[in-house]
Amino acid sequence: MIKLILLTALILSTLFAQVKTEIKVPYMPYEIKMGKGFDAVQANCLMCHSFGYIPNQGPQSRKFWHEKTIKMIDAFKSPMSEEDIKTVVDYLFEHYGNGKEE
Amino acid sequence: MKRRDFFKTSIVASAALITSSAVAGVTGQPNGTRKVSKYAFPEKRPLITYSDRPPLLETPISVFTQEHTPNDQFFVRWHLPDIPTHIDQNSYTIHINGLVKKELKISLNELKNSFAQVEVSAVLQCGGNSRSAFTPTAGGIQWGSGAMGCAKWKGVRLKDLLQKAGLQSNAKWIGFNGLEKAAYFETPTFIRELEIDKLDEHVIIAYEMNGEDLPYLNGYPLRLIIPGYYSDSWVKMLSNITVTDKYKSLFFMDKAYRIPNNETESETPQKRHKTTKPITVMNVKSVIGYPESGAKIYHHSEVVVRGVSWDGGFGIKKVMVSIDDGKSWEEAILKDNLGRYSYREFRYSFKPTKYGKLNIMSKAINSLGDEQPMSENIGWNHGGYKYNGIQIVNVEVV
Repeated sequence: MIKLILLTALILSTLFAQVKTEIKVPYMPYEIKMGKGFDAVQANCLMCHSFGYIPNQGPQSRKFWHEKTIKMIDAFKSPMSEEDIKTVVDYLFEHYGNGKEE
Repeated sequence: MKRRDFFKTSIVASAALITSSAVAGVTGQPNGTRKVSKYAFPEKRPLITYSDRPPLLETPISVFTQEHTPNDQFFVRWHLPDIPTHIDQNSYTIHINGLVKKELKISLNELKNSFAQVEVSAVLQCGGNSRSAFTPTAGGIQWGSGAMGCAKWKGVRLKDLLQKAGLQSNAKWIGFNGLEKAAYFETPTFIRELEIDKLDEHVIIAYEMNGEDLPYLNGYPLRLIIPGYYSDSWVKMLSNITVTDKYKSLFFMDKAYRIPNNETESETPQKRHKTTKPITVMNVKSVIGYPESGAKIYHHSEVVVRGVSWDGGFGIKKVMVSIDDGKSWEEAILKDNLGRYSYREFRYSFKPTKYGKLNIMSKAINSLGDEQPMSENIGWNHGGYKYNGIQIVNVEVV
């Protein structure tokens, strides 16, 4: 009988969760550069990922940033307009570029 | 002050490398200078943070002196921005459907009580771990050495669940899907597909990590564990298993986590290799957790170098350490084996006899005889995957 009770207690014990309420993922501020085209970056990029993804790539060429932007459209289906693609790439290259076209 | 000088020196050194041969793509040391953020994420201590949405958290290198990585320091990588922030464990179920004789919906309680419970110590490592070692920048998060960890995972065998559901004769592929969601309906879901024949009894569905519930950010309440394999298919918040007869073409399978399909698994930035293959089994690697680059150690003191080593499940045979820039190598002491998928701790003690700069390196060798290459001998690949170069820790003897 005692064994039975112990066993029940063991089974029930698995039902206690470590976290009882909703978790809250903190919002982090990023030192993102302001400038022409920032609104388009905010409207398009932030839908899927934080600004953390941008400076993390390091300074890159215009081609690199163009390819990244196209990947967001082709692979992840971002509904970015043709006009926004240009604006976003210009912004990224201006503020996170390495000065090289390719 | 001296410490800062060290970083300067290494930056200058790597810059020199970059300019000399950027055309071919060069491989150096992964970035080891990033500090933990001041923000602690749920159930975590402050970690090196790349992004909050989706959360991308790296484990500081000093943690890799232990064979099991503590849950609150364990690395985090999600692909899509929308992660459930609450799971009701009483109503959570995992569905098994598709080409099965009987569709199943299994509750957590059932999983914990109606199937054989198994445990495995296994390394979870992102295929892009140490990506920051590649130049020019390879696509993806520029991880240092800490996009990995090793835990004792407890759960049930996938095989046992499939057996209970009963596979139909034409069953060939299994798709695994978790609860993370994209912002746009059209974004491909993070489904991973594995071939049934390739799955062995070591593949488990885990609900416990190092004796505790999985942290939310590591996939609470259930995640797929595929020991020996890079973690791209270790689906988190696993909710659905679908058995099919055909491979479906999916972005995360066809484009991401793939390397050049040639012998050296490398290519040049200008001329990408035409065909690719998935990253699958991990290569042999070791990381030194102590001391860290930039540290000062005392002349004639007893220094114990500590680190971890692992491979894709063949088993670590030995770890060699060099303190003279690779001119000579001595065998480190290996701690008891926790199983072939686990980290194997190593330590190596020595007394520094010369003042000034000193490089400490470790090289793991597995039972197949595979050994870690020097980083400059690793070919570039566009995704920056599978880096396993010999780590060089620069310290100063004072």
